[in-house]
Amino acid sequence: MRAAVLILASICVLPLIVRPAIASEIWIFAIFGLGLNLLLGYTGLLSFGQSTFFGSAAYVAGYLLKYYGIGVFAALGVGVGIGAVSALLVGYLCVQRSGLYFIMLTFALNQLFYFIAYQWTSVTGGEDGMPGIPRPALFGVDLRDPLHYYVLVSAIFLLSLWLMKRIVESPLGRILQAIRENEVRAEAVGYHAPRFKLLAFVLGGAFSGAAGVLYAMLFGIVPLESIGFVFSGNVVFATLIGGSGSLYGPIIGSFVFIWLSESMSVMWARWPLLLGVAFVIVVLFFRGGVVEAWSRVWRYSKRTA
Amino acid sequence: MALLETHGLTKSFGALTAVNAVSLGIEAGTLHSIIGPNGAGKTTLFNLLTGTFPPSGGRVSLAGKDITGTPAHRIAHLGLSRSFQRTNVFPAFSLLDNVWMSAFATAKSWSGLLWRRADRYPEAIERARAALADVGLADKAEQQAREISHGEQRQLELAIALAAAPRVLLLDEPAAGLSPEETRKMVALVRTLKGRYTIVLIEHKMDIIMNVSDRISVMHFGALIAEGTPAEIQRNPEVRRAYLGGMAA
Repeated sequence: MRAAVLILASICVLPLIVRPAIASEIWIFAIFGLGLNLLLGYTGLLSFGQSTFFGSAAYVAGYLLKYYGIGVFAALGVGVGIGAVSALLVGYLCVQRSGLYFIMLTFALNQLFYFIAYQWTSVTGGEDGMPGIPRPALFGVDLRDPLHYYVLVSAIFLLSLWLMKRIVESPLGRILQAIRENEVRAEAVGYHAPRFKLLAFVLGGAFSGAAGVLYAMLFGIVPLESIGFVFSGNVVFATLIGGSGSLYGPIIGSFVFIWLSESMSVMWARWPLLLGVAFVIVVLFFRGGVVEAWSRVWRYSKRTA
Repeated sequence: MALLETHGLTKSFGALTAVNAVSLGIEAGTLHSIIGPNGAGKTTLFNLLTGTFPPSGGRVSLAGKDITGTPAHRIAHLGLSRSFQRTNVFPAFSLLDNVWMSAFATAKSWSGLLWRRADRYPEAIERARAALADVGLADKAEQQAREISHGEQRQLELAIALAAAPRVLLLDEPAAGLSPEETRKMVALVRTLKGRYTIVLIEHKMDIIMNVSDRISVMHFGALIAEGTPAEIQRNPEVRRAYLGGMAA
């Protein structure tokens, strides 16, 4: 309940502090992080290839928006579908292996998709990206206004968060955590782990897809980087900084990551250094990320008060 | 016809034959123990029964149905439930959630798998609580599995197996690593389960076996060397040789 109030308040205040475009980017990246965290935090699977689903959805929906003039909801629907289907393909191959091999497979398949986008210039624009993605009006509301678009993004974010909360509190969420805790026992009590891991992939892919489409419409372009491994790494970074052990971790991580990158990159070209330092601190001292750091401070202040 | 049967069950790892042509019949409602020195192949036999790996030869049948080579995740759904020799639980889960995983897995329906809250499955929760109560852990339901003592973890191990409401309960050294006092409690616990379930018990502490088993099978170097009532086994010269003579016999 407190979390819901805090998030609603943030949604209202954020566009007053930063440009609406950046505010939108924060919630879009948070949706992306929610999808990753179903794998990373709940199932214990480190996927280094989430941009595969994000980028594929952005390209396909972007293409349809640009050349076929489909509506916003149709584009989002396509994005969710493409995200889920690409995750089904990639996930099916990845869940056959575990540990390091699993991670390398997610990474390698990400590279495969990247090079398809890179080479297929007639459709994707290759290195130049796919520009000219429109933001069609929705129910007569002009979404080209950054604030209007921000409202749409916030609404989709809230919907995503609610859906993810339902998923992680469902039996599925518990089964995924059981697989993370002890895969052998999870199999022995009757859960086929690869099947459930694949389901986590598909659901995570659907969230990534929605984020990808919102991202394409936000910037009016699908940049090649949106399907690249750096992007996959960024969402892992952001989620770990926020705290992968909690539903809200990726949201905080997205906030820190986007805010840092957008505000610092203007002032200082070497800002990723800061990110590196933040990451090292998290890994060394706060394995649960900002969420854990916060709860420690909270407990400490209560004890001393 | 026995409830759980094996015919010529064999498992080889390279040149080592860990389980060698074992033919067993477990009668419904009995407590059937499998004993033998360390390395006799008892746990490998369990792994074959529960689909951890497929046998190299032979068959397994449950209630007349061939289940040879059924993968581990299907086995629980067929009504075979096992506990592990080395404690194998979900450490960060509460005891109730540990047991719930097993109760939900074998529930009649998984409707609402992605949607309904996990704590809104009254039937699974009731079964989980009953299993915890059966092993005497009901008052610790909300504690994390990693916080309880080793002895209690062994009880939890048993509760997870019970929550599946199995037709056959396979217990792999439930008293492994327990103190004499804890062992006595565990034996008493197994005794209360006797009759309610068909139980296959692996153990190498002879004193536990002798006064709780209906039938005993003795394994040595992967093969069955004797089967009978506890009294018969105690008199059997080959068994004495295997145990007293150790591995060199």
